[in-house]
Amino acid sequence: MTIIDRFEFPDELYYTKEHVWARIDGNVMTIGLSQFGQELAGQIVYVEVPRVGRKVAKGEPFMSMESGKWVGRIKSPVGGTIVAANEEIEWECTLVNQEPYGKGWLAKIEATTLDDLKDLLRANSPEFAALIAAERAKYKK
Amino acid sequence: MRLYHLGHVSWLESQLIYHTQPRLGMESLNILAPREPYVCIGYHQDLAQEVDVSYCREHSIPIFRREVGGGAVYLDGNQIFYQLILHKDNPLAQGDKAAFYQRLLEPVAKAYGDLGVPARYRPVNDVITLEGRKISGTGAAEIGDYLVLVGNLIADFDYETMSRVLRVPDEKYRDKVFKSMRENLTTLKREAGRALEWDEMVTPLLRRFEGVLGPLESAELPKAVYEQVKALKPQFLSEEWLYKRGKKLPGREVKIASDVHIVQRVHKAPGGLLRATVELKGDRLASVSLSGDFFCYPQDAVGDLEAALEYASLGQVADVVAYFYATHKIETPGVAPEDWQKVLGA
Repeated sequence: MTIIDRFEFPDELYYTKEHVWARIDGNVMTIGLSQFGQELAGQIVYVEVPRVGRKVAKGEPFMSMESGKWVGRIKSPVGGTIVAANEEIEWECTLVNQEPYGKGWLAKIEATTLDDLKDLLRANSPEFAALIAAERAKYKK
Repeated sequence: MRLYHLGHVSWLESQLIYHTQPRLGMESLNILAPREPYVCIGYHQDLAQEVDVSYCREHSIPIFRREVGGGAVYLDGNQIFYQLILHKDNPLAQGDKAAFYQRLLEPVAKAYGDLGVPARYRPVNDVITLEGRKISGTGAAEIGDYLVLVGNLIADFDYETMSRVLRVPDEKYRDKVFKSMRENLTTLKREAGRALEWDEMVTPLLRRFEGVLGPLESAELPKAVYEQVKALKPQFLSEEWLYKRGKKLPGREVKIASDVHIVQRVHKAPGGLLRATVELKGDRLASVSLSGDFFCYPQDAVGDLEAALEYASLGQVADVVAYFYATHKIETPGVAPEDWQKVLGA
């Protein structure tokens, strides 16, 4: 586990620059919002859960959430197909805030290629530390 | 910053213009109002649950789903809208949501002050009068690489039509929505005691925005925006978009202001169905209405229970109900104190 100030980042996960995490199991990625990402989002009041079977493109928004009348978009870390969505968060969206690495997961995507992983960051890398430092300064966190 | 001071435009353009600008990569500030009234729902709302679609169709009131958050609203030419589109890397877009809202809503509050109606920003995204009444609506969205903030100066407001276009479980609920809106949402006309002219309202708003955004350069809306408006029309007017799956809530809840909600819940107790319609201010029951098909002796005890619950916090409901049952000779077969807690959401 990498800990930066009060933020935890499990080492086994991959991260995007938009604070989405990905857990790899074969070519299926479970994705969610990191602890830092959910704090930036604030108290989430609704999550629009994506439809299973939908094709997603790397870097493109594929689902959304709302907090404080603010609609934020979640971008996919990889290209592929959604094979599962966490229906529970549509009713219990607080899980995304409370358990971002657990019950608050967002969706599972079957990646077209694992080559996309090379663009993701690892928690214990210097690049990731620099990203979080810059983001903390930007968002005053 | 480019300023598009557009005056009154068609209801559809009043929405589509700011949806095109992030897509065209244009940082902008738009000032406009719709010529025709319409209903606008939030991106994540469920149309059928929120709006009385039949009423709107019968009265030729168009309905639009925006990409911005928040709730269903009735909009007309008596509300002047500001629509700000900023690239996510613009220094003005930095900081968290609260900082973003504060930076851009404080000028709106100050503009109200300039108009003789002192107002202040209240986190996260409210502009309220000193008495605490909401006087501006706000919402935001990330569209592509841009942040969009939309809000209004409320010159006047049609409370009656607003409460009419919402889908409500019964007329009693509608009446509560109407009364709560009258009490918790105010307008420049009500506060200033007179109708204000367009320029009178817009001039201080622009001056206050200029203080934060820097010099505003008035410009004509480029042709590309109108072309993009045309291109976006089919999607935004499609039934599929309008009826997009949205947030479904058990019961019914209408948000009047950030801390005021009218909520109706139903609970099936062994002794019958309980229905509670409450006005929640923060976590307090500002008013309570209980009904259902349960048996209660004496009959007027329900009214007494409503009175006992008023102004109680949700955390106090269990104690208030238990005390009421202990001190009143009340019989509600198959309806236990816990059932009241459930229907009140306590």
